[in-house]
Amino acid sequence: MSLVELQLDGLRRRYGTVTALDGLSFDVPAGEVFGFLGPNGAGKTTAMRAIFGVTALDAGEIRWRGKPVDEQARRQFGYMPEERGLYPTMKLAEQVEYFATLHDMDDRAAKKAAAYWIGRLGLSGREDARIDALSHGNQQRAQLAVALVHDPELLVLDEPFAGLDPGGVDDMRQVLEERAAAGVTVLFSSHQLDLVEDICEAVAIIYQGRLVTYGPVADLRRGDRPRLAVRVGGDPEGAWSRSLDDELGEVEAIRPGGTVLISLTNGGDSQRILDLARAAGPVEHFAFEARRLSEVFRAVTGASVGQAEAEHAASMAGAGRAAAGVAR
Amino acid sequence: MTWLVARRELRQRGRSRAFAISTAVLLLAVVLGVALPAILSRNAKPERVGYVGAVTPAVSRLIEQAGQIAETKVVVVQQPDVASAEAALRSGDLGVVLVPGSKVLVKQVSQGGTNSGTLPNALAQLAGLERLFAEVPAAAAAAAHGIALPVHGLEAPSSSLGSRLTGLFTVVIVWVLISAYGGQIAMSIGEEKGSRIAEVLLSSLRAVQLLVGKVVGIGLLALAQVAAMVVAFVVAGLASGSSLVHGAAINIVLVGAVFAVLGYAFYCTAFAAAGSLVSRQSDVNSTIMPVQLPLIIAYALSYTVIYANGASTFYLVLGFLPPTAPVAMPVLYAAGDVPPWQVAVSAVLCAVATVWMARVAAGIYTRSILRTGARVRLKEALRQA
Repeated sequence: MSLVELQLDGLRRRYGTVTALDGLSFDVPAGEVFGFLGPNGAGKTTAMRAIFGVTALDAGEIRWRGKPVDEQARRQFGYMPEERGLYPTMKLAEQVEYFATLHDMDDRAAKKAAAYWIGRLGLSGREDARIDALSHGNQQRAQLAVALVHDPELLVLDEPFAGLDPGGVDDMRQVLEERAAAGVTVLFSSHQLDLVEDICEAVAIIYQGRLVTYGPVADLRRGDRPRLAVRVGGDPEGAWSRSLDDELGEVEAIRPGGTVLISLTNGGDSQRILDLARAAGPVEHFAFEARRLSEVFRAVTGASVGQAEAEHAASMAGAGRAAAGVAR
Repeated sequence: MTWLVARRELRQRGRSRAFAISTAVLLLAVVLGVALPAILSRNAKPERVGYVGAVTPAVSRLIEQAGQIAETKVVVVQQPDVASAEAALRSGDLGVVLVPGSKVLVKQVSQGGTNSGTLPNALAQLAGLERLFAEVPAAAAAAAHGIALPVHGLEAPSSSLGSRLTGLFTVVIVWVLISAYGGQIAMSIGEEKGSRIAEVLLSSLRAVQLLVGKVVGIGLLALAQVAAMVVAFVVAGLASGSSLVHGAAINIVLVGAVFAVLGYAFYCTAFAAAGSLVSRQSDVNSTIMPVQLPLIIAYALSYTVIYANGASTFYLVLGFLPPTAPVAMPVLYAAGDVPPWQVAVSAVLCAVATVWMARVAAGIYTRSILRTGARVRLKEALRQA
C-alpha cells in the first residue's frame, strides 16, 4: 500500500447502552479507492462522522498527515453523508457554489468549480433547476458535486452506491477511481460487501465497532488458504471429494451440480488434488477461485452479513429510546 | 464563514416572493394607517354655516371658533332672512344656521338632543355667551381675559387616543415581525436538520457559526423591513400632513422599532433552539408554541392597557420582563404609563437577557442539531454535555 494519510486510532463511542465503536483502528492509504465495509450497524457511519467532528468520540484519535484532524484540515475534506442533504428549494448551481465557498473558495473560483463539476457529472443544463425538481439520480449527482467541488484532499462517502442504478454505479466508480488516481485519499463505505469488491483496491471490514479484517481485496479474497473449485463429470454429488486427505485440503462446500470447493492446506499441493479428481472421472472444471468478501466476513466473524444485520436490528429495537441517534 | 451563511439566507430569502409580498403588505398597512385619516380629514367638506344678517369679522370669528370646538372646517354663508335660510337647510345647501340673538337651526335634531362637541351645539353655546356679553357689559369685561377656566389634572397627562392607537398598531407589527421571522428561523433549522443538510454543513462549519449566520441573515431582512416601515411612516405622515409625525406618535414608533430589534435578538436564538429539537420539519409548530407564548400573552393583554386609564401592576411587570417587554413596553409607553427612563431600563434588561438566552439556546442547538430519531426533549438537550 502506498503512503498513509488518514489514520483512525482506537476510536470508541457509546450511545447509551449501545456500543457503536469499540476501539476501531485502521489506516487509509492515499491514491487508491478504499472500501470501509461491514453490515449495517457495524459503526461505519459513526466512524465517518467522527472524521468530520460531527460525532464526538469517547476515546481515540483521527489523524490527517500525522496530525489530529482540526477544523482547518476538515475544510480540505469532502463528505457525502449517507442521508443525503441539500436545500430542496435552492438552485443547483447556487447550491454547489455555496458549499464551495464554505470550503474556503472565493466566489469566482466557486463558480468555476461548480460549473466544472455540474458538467462533469452530467447535469449540464440543469444549473438553474431547484434541487427538488431534479430526479432522484440527479439529486445524488448533485450531492456528489457538493462533496467534490472544492477539490478535496480526502473524500469520504457514506454508502455512495446505495440506491444507484447500474449506470449510476459505473459513473460513481469512475469518479472515485479518477480522484484516487489524482492522489486523493478516497474512503467509501458499503454494507453490500460483494457488490463493491471489484470497485475497491483495499478494504477495512468492521463488525460490532471493531476491525475484523483489513488489506488489499485480492489478498483477502484469496486468503491464507486459497480455494480450489473442482468438478468431476458424472458426479453431481461431488462424492469423489470424500477421499480427500486432510493434509491436502478441506472441503468448504459442494455446490449444486457437484462443484467441490476446497480450502487448500498450507503447502497443500493442488496437483495432487487434480490427480485425485482425475482418478474419479473426467475433470470438467479445475480452477483457483477467489472468495466473495461476504464469505471472508463469515469466515472471520462466524456470522453472515445478513445474520449480523438482523441481530443489529433486534438490538436496536431492544435498546429503544436510548439508542435513538445511533447511526450505522 | 458566519457571513457566508448569513449571505445565503439574505440572497435566498430576500429574493423570494414571500419576502416581497410581506414587505409590500406591511408597507401598505403603514402608509394607509398613517395617511388615510389625514387625507380623509383634509378632504372633508367644510360645513356650510348660514348667518341671517350681515357677516361682520366678529361673526366670522365666532363661527370659526365654534368650528374649532367641533373640529370641523366651516364656511360662513350670509342669508338675507330666516325663510331663505330654512329653504337652504332643507335643500342641504347649509348644514346649520345661526339666527343671531335667537336660535340655531338645523334640519333635524338627532335623537336625544344635540351632543356637546357638535357644530350646532358649539354655535349655540358661543352665540349664547355673545348675547350675555351684549346684555351684561361687566361680563364682557370679565371675559376679556378668557372665558374658560383652566383644567388641571392631578396626575401626569395621559396619552391621547391617537397615541394609544399608534402604540397598538406598533406592537401588532412588532409581534407579527418577531413571530414571523422567528417562525422562519425555526422552520429553516427544522429543514436543515430533517433533511440532514446540517450534517454536510457541519462537516465544514461549527454549529455556532451556522446558528449565528442564520439568525443574522434573517435578522438583517427583518431589520430592513422595520427600517422600511419607519421610513414609510415618516414619509407618508409628512406627505399627507398627518399630525402623527409631529406629535408623540413618532416617539412611540421609534420605541417600537427599538423593541422590535431587541425582541428579535432575544427570540431568534430561542426559535433556533426550538427548531433544532425536531426530527421533521412538520413538527416545528409544536416546539415553537412555548416560545411564542409570552409574546401572545403580552399582546392579548395590551388591549387592557390601551383602553384603560393606567396600566395594572401585572402589566407593568410584564413591561420589564425580557420575554414580554418587546410587546408590553411600547404599549405602556404609548399609553403614557411609563416615563422614558423606565423604557430605557427595560431595553437594557432585555439586551442583557438576550446574551443569556443566546448562550442557553446555542447550547441546546449544538447538542440537538445532529441528533436523529425521536424528538429531542428539552430536558435532555439542556442536560447533555
